[in-house]
Amino acid sequence: MGRGTPLSPDQDVLVDANIFYAIGRPSNPQYRRFRTAVQNAGVVCKLPQRVIGELGGQETDRVRTALDDGWAEIIEATPPTDGDAVAASDIARRTIASETNRAEHEVEKTDAILAGLAIQYVRDRSPSTVVVLTDDKPARKGIKNAAQSQGYEETITVYGLADIIGDDAGDSMRLI
Amino acid sequence: MSVDSLKYMDFELKSMTSDYDQLRSDGGIRTLDPPPIDALDEETLEPETLAQNASRLETIVELLNHPALARVYVYVCYWGPVAPPAVMEALDLSKSTTYEYVDRLVDLGLVDRDDSTRPQQLTADPIIIVEQYIPIVITPTVLHALALQEIDEDISYFIDRYGIGKLIAALRGAGLHFAGETTQRMVASDIDVRETEAMMIVYALEPALAVGREHDPFFEYLFPDVHDEMELPGLDEIAGAPTNSADTDE
Repeated sequence: MGRGTPLSPDQDVLVDANIFYAIGRPSNPQYRRFRTAVQNAGVVCKLPQRVIGELGGQETDRVRTALDDGWAEIIEATPPTDGDAVAASDIARRTIASETNRAEHEVEKTDAILAGLAIQYVRDRSPSTVVVLTDDKPARKGIKNAAQSQGYEETITVYGLADIIGDDAGDSMRLI
Repeated sequence: MSVDSLKYMDFELKSMTSDYDQLRSDGGIRTLDPPPIDALDEETLEPETLAQNASRLETIVELLNHPALARVYVYVCYWGPVAPPAVMEALDLSKSTTYEYVDRLVDLGLVDRDDSTRPQQLTADPIIIVEQYIPIVITPTVLHALALQEIDEDISYFIDRYGIGKLIAALRGAGLHFAGETTQRMVASDIDVRETEAMMIVYALEPALAVGREHDPFFEYLFPDVHDEMELPGLDEIAGAPTNSADTDE
């Protein structure tokens, strides 16, 4: 413990849906650590509608819990239309295809669009910094590459769950 | 790996290592259709051989149909040698249930009971079934994944909705995810479940992968390509994790 999280109040934090699953159910210590990190940093996780889809299935209850608790909110992020944002999604798609050894057309649109959404967000709202959280390694690399090649590496930072709550989170795992 | 530990390998295995490419990178399954006519030879089809294999087939069916029983088997396999009271405590079972399951596992030949010590010690050899034409792969990691439905509501929800075949596909997809070889949305599309369901099941299966990677001698059969690339919590960080019984003398 004693490790600070990289989150701070002046950031806008965009989260991918998988973060809500990586932290487990509300009873899970990892969930509580993440919620505490977010609340202590004074931020609200912004969950683009495009990446969560419909909150219909039984498995989406933990997302609803975070929304009800007020430390996450769904935002209507503008689809990438700005040139930089469109290019970012293309770069992310190419990176993910290469990381996963697949053809570009096999890359899920939503995985690739996260990079475009982040840059469009910066273009639309001019926040000082944007943090993008996703627990998918190929997607993280895609966003990083896109931000870097479009000149947003100072504005957009990409993290995984371990960057926020540490990588000793497995100590609470029930094995059998 | 000792020959003893392979005692359940009598199913068709001969050319299996050359068929790793039949495991699709996405965790899905490519069916070979139809199998070559000589897939089974006269020797395999000897009534005597079939009769010998029958009990093993029944054993596997029994484990697949009874996740609570599979859970005890997996516990003894990974944590053994272990005494029944320790099984009872670790799995939060009643005394009578524990002994009932242990008796059944001993009868099935899956668990060995050493009565020469007090308390008696239980051990279990890891089992493996690979059938390349369906294909089917069952190892302790797979049985562990199935057994988790006893304690994990995400896994029991997934199995209720999609069945155990798809859970095994999800297990393969989860392994690829933790190795950074696929995204969870790709897993969803590959195994045809909702994106959020794929995300849910990938994390729910993490314990089976974390233990299997260190204690399932057949882990590579399921993950020939990524068995040493997964980013998972190390067992030394997790309370109550099995230790390597060769290293510890209790």
